[in-house]
Amino acid sequence: MSADTPMAAGAATSRSRGRSPLQRALGRFFRNGAAIAGLLILVPVLLAVLTYPFWWRYAPNSIDLRALNSGPTAAHWLGTDGVGRDTLARLLQGGRISLLIASVSVAISLLIGFLVGAIAAFGGRVLDGTIMRFVDLAMTLPPVILLLVLASITGTGILPTIFVISLLSWPVLSRMVRARLLELRERDFVVASRGFGAGLGHLLFRHALPNSLDILVVYATVQFANAILLEAGLSFLGMGIVPPEASWGNMLRAARSTVVLELHPSQWMPAGAALVATVLAINFIGDGLRDAFDPRTDLK
Amino acid sequence: MLGFYLKRLAAGLMMLIALSIMVFVLLRLAPGDPIDAYLNPLAPLSQVEMDALRQRLGLDQPWPVQYLAWLRAALGGDLGYSIDRAGVRVLPLLVERTGPTLLLMLTGLAMAIVLGIAAGVVGAVKRNSAIDVGLGVLAFLVISTPAFLKALLGLYVFAVVLRWAPSGGMLTPGAPFSLTDLLAHLTLPASLLALVYSALFMRYMRSSMIEVLNQDYLRTARAKGVGEFAVIVRHALRNAILPVITLIGSTIGIAIGGAIFIESVFDWPGMGLLMVKAVETRDYPVIMGATLLIGVGVILVNLLTDLAYAVVDPRIQVS
Amino acid sequence: MTMRTYRKALIGAALLVGTMMTPAFAQMKTITGGFDVGPGGLQGNFNPMTAPAGYTWLSTYFEPLVTYDAGLTKLVPALAASWEISQDKLSYTFKLAEESWHDGQKFTAADVKFTIELNKNPKTASLLSARLSAVDSVEVKDPRTVVVKLSRPDNALIVSLTKMMILPAHALAAIAPEDMAKNAMWSTKPIGTGPFKFVRYETDRFVELAANETYRGGKPKVDRLINRYFANAAAAISALRAGEIQFTYIESDDVPTFKGNKDYTIIEGASYVANYIGFNNQVPLWNDIRVRQAVMHAIDRNTIIDSLYKGAAKKADCGYVEGSLIPKGLDEYAYDPAKATKLLKEAGWDKINGTKPISWITYYNNPLTANVMAAVQSMLAQVGINVVPRALDSAGYNGIVMSRTPNPADFPLVYAGLQNGPDPGTLNLGLNESQIPPVGQNFLQIKLPELNAALNAAVAETDQAKATTKYQDVCAVMNKTLPWGTMWVANRYGVASVKLKDFVWTPAPGGGPFAATPEKWSIAP
Repeated sequence: MSADTPMAAGAATSRSRGRSPLQRALGRFFRNGAAIAGLLILVPVLLAVLTYPFWWRYAPNSIDLRALNSGPTAAHWLGTDGVGRDTLARLLQGGRISLLIASVSVAISLLIGFLVGAIAAFGGRVLDGTIMRFVDLAMTLPPVILLLVLASITGTGILPTIFVISLLSWPVLSRMVRARLLELRERDFVVASRGFGAGLGHLLFRHALPNSLDILVVYATVQFANAILLEAGLSFLGMGIVPPEASWGNMLRAARSTVVLELHPSQWMPAGAALVATVLAINFIGDGLRDAFDPRTDLK
Repeated sequence: MLGFYLKRLAAGLMMLIALSIMVFVLLRLAPGDPIDAYLNPLAPLSQVEMDALRQRLGLDQPWPVQYLAWLRAALGGDLGYSIDRAGVRVLPLLVERTGPTLLLMLTGLAMAIVLGIAAGVVGAVKRNSAIDVGLGVLAFLVISTPAFLKALLGLYVFAVVLRWAPSGGMLTPGAPFSLTDLLAHLTLPASLLALVYSALFMRYMRSSMIEVLNQDYLRTARAKGVGEFAVIVRHALRNAILPVITLIGSTIGIAIGGAIFIESVFDWPGMGLLMVKAVETRDYPVIMGATLLIGVGVILVNLLTDLAYAVVDPRIQVS
Repeated sequence: MTMRTYRKALIGAALLVGTMMTPAFAQMKTITGGFDVGPGGLQGNFNPMTAPAGYTWLSTYFEPLVTYDAGLTKLVPALAASWEISQDKLSYTFKLAEESWHDGQKFTAADVKFTIELNKNPKTASLLSARLSAVDSVEVKDPRTVVVKLSRPDNALIVSLTKMMILPAHALAAIAPEDMAKNAMWSTKPIGTGPFKFVRYETDRFVELAANETYRGGKPKVDRLINRYFANAAAAISALRAGEIQFTYIESDDVPTFKGNKDYTIIEGASYVANYIGFNNQVPLWNDIRVRQAVMHAIDRNTIIDSLYKGAAKKADCGYVEGSLIPKGLDEYAYDPAKATKLLKEAGWDKINGTKPISWITYYNNPLTANVMAAVQSMLAQVGINVVPRALDSAGYNGIVMSRTPNPADFPLVYAGLQNGPDPGTLNLGLNESQIPPVGQNFLQIKLPELNAALNAAVAETDQAKATTKYQDVCAVMNKTLPWGTMWVANRYGVASVKLKDFVWTPAPGGGPFAATPEKWSIAP
């Protein structure tokens, strides 16, 4: 039996029960009612957001000055906004943008966080110390402050927003990855691999990655929810996605005006509901995943 | 013992230096001429005077030299002029805003701790009851709603419709100071700020409490005939609360973030409002000054919690 | 850290353990308002010499020599009880009213002489500097009489004087002109002659004034006036609806919230502000007139006025909308995207800029303008001009465009407004090459010789009837050369609580000044 199969770390215990830890985790996950509810919310949202140009007749940015501030009608299911843009189209496009920003920034911070954490863990004392001091520093500043500072330099738009959010999110992950891998570093199979002259790439992808998979998955979900909230917050302050591009955050910004808040709830409530529902769903899923990956759950 | 403190202090000092380098680099990355920060926008200077100032500030020197000059000025309290406000220096502006932000944050945090710990204990004791599940869902809902949305709705319902609270600001303009007035203005934004963190504390408290409740010594206590209430309060709570207290230190940063949105919606005259406005107008001296000050604050708080925790729990020093 | 900051912090800490509200305060009659909300206001500016806006508030404690009446139709006395203009239009004689400064000193002709000379000095950064260039000398005939001599006739002079707040020579003479602009005195202890006296400014929060009991117009009916600052107009509206303030400016799309509500009075008025899309002449985007024409043809102004402004705006084809100033045969720049596309093609827009984003800044930081700009943005996008709107607050906007070292790339395009009445000559300030900063407000660096000539001729014309034709020429030149893309003149609104009695406000450009008679304002309990 080779020691460096992907599931190496938990291999001993898993075989004794006849199912892999991943299978058991999935089993636990699917027994979690809240997590299933989360999936049941998230999947339709994703589908709607991805496919809307095929089934919805309005484009999100086309204005219609003859139909301003209309309430829900047969033509505009959710009404129109202050320049006559279709609210449903903007809601769906806004969802696309919000989810796009969240997923890309999560992907980037996963990559950076994993690599930094792994390199710190395997790279020796000096490198580790330097990297970790840097991570400490990045974690010192409150995220929203850092977000504002970076946004003031990069300006507004999709790419700057992605850049800013991903730059901000990786340090926590790299800490967790490092902690996990430090435990692992002294294990026999890693020492053995090193002894056989395995390169860093081999160490990273054959050992580090599989062994921190659970951390990565849980982190990704939590961070996904976070990124959606961060984007919304930035756009609400007028520093993330700026109109005419739609995002859930900048649709909610319209509610700052008492007229919109009070007289045109159809312009902001859908965005608010979609945002809260999506984040809630992801948080449920994230919680389900955390419990599922935590072997202690079974004992409770 | 002393060695440990010195080590922590040295680490804190390193962090401060690193922070100052970071802020300096960000300041130089920001668009515009760095000399603008040191010019009073309302006092025109001639080219000769500008060159002299540039030289004095070392802006014609390489970056490391510039950094030292900037650091020296910053240590002396000179963070330059606000670009946006005529003739206003950055530091006094920041100092003025620190109080309101601290007041809002600490009140919110205190409310959150009380609320969160109480809810967490109830949830843990009545595990899986309707109350527990309800609180859990509520906490999720609160965590999943953006701070600004809660603030907007809170403002609308409680200030505009019900008129229970003022719509914004910290004190009634022009009225002589009174504690009641302050509290009237503080309650709504602080409660909204507290909402988020109480949800966070509740979840930690609940799981920490559940772990403690399962411990043997509690079973022993129960077996000895100690009443259930006493078990929970005297034994379980004391042990469960420790990890939650450490959480408080590490959430200061998040609290500052949340405060920004609350301040922005409630026109609260704090650091957050100042910073948002500065970002809007690209007032870099103020942005970086605020960042530096907040960073220093967070580092100091972390350092203090570290040291204080070491005093409380000597085991820390070993690890 | 200075001693002052320490002391402030200490006082703050002491106050925290403070007392209950004193009964004296509860009995004081106070009017609180958002007097600096909206485009006519300028929060945080206290120096009347450098104030492009904010006169609603400034004129509660400062006063000019002459001012407009509340309808903005004619000039009425303020600190000058009466005035005479000589036949040759070269000599203005002002008879001054009896008044004292807030510190008790007598107001005299010497103060007027001091103020005019101070404003004329460009070192003070006064916005009036260029507007007073025709002033040759100021003579004090006696303590109540002052004569202003001009080197050439200047019709706009008397209008410029409505914006010139008279300042106390005894308090300011010691300050060097170049230190005037940044002097802290403006926001700590300014001395005026108006019905209210300055008490204090709490940074970014509010300004408090107290009644000037010896005011010549009578003792003010309320004890205190408070100008509360707001981060945005929405916050001001919330405060108004929560009953915390009694007055604020509102946008036209906020009007429905108050319409039909017995508790509020909506005040509507023509703004006398021509809104325009301003082309920064220091960026190489707009040099070709065909590009500017294309912008005009690409925008469907009629529909925007009908829908977004709900008809409460007038389309403008030059800087004026007043019927008598409009010559025949103006190009109406009808909505014609095809023509716009063609013009852009001829001008080679592809090479000039193509679809690169162009930052389009404004100080109209409100939802209505955001919608208007979004509509324009989408119309311009149709013809291939990619503009990106960005709304700043007034101070931020002024910081960029009126900066000592402006960076044209920060404002290649603006959406702004310029006062076009009651005196049509005010357009000169933003359009004439002679008004390029620092002396004037032509921050777009418009340099059109034909326009300069037309403006100079109109401003210098002393005969009323002839002046009208000359302003028609200005209109025709503007229409032809497109120094900016003039859009419309919109109505503006304010809302006052019905508790306010005898409250006078009008949406004057820059907030006034006009004869608001703040001493007569009162408030029902």
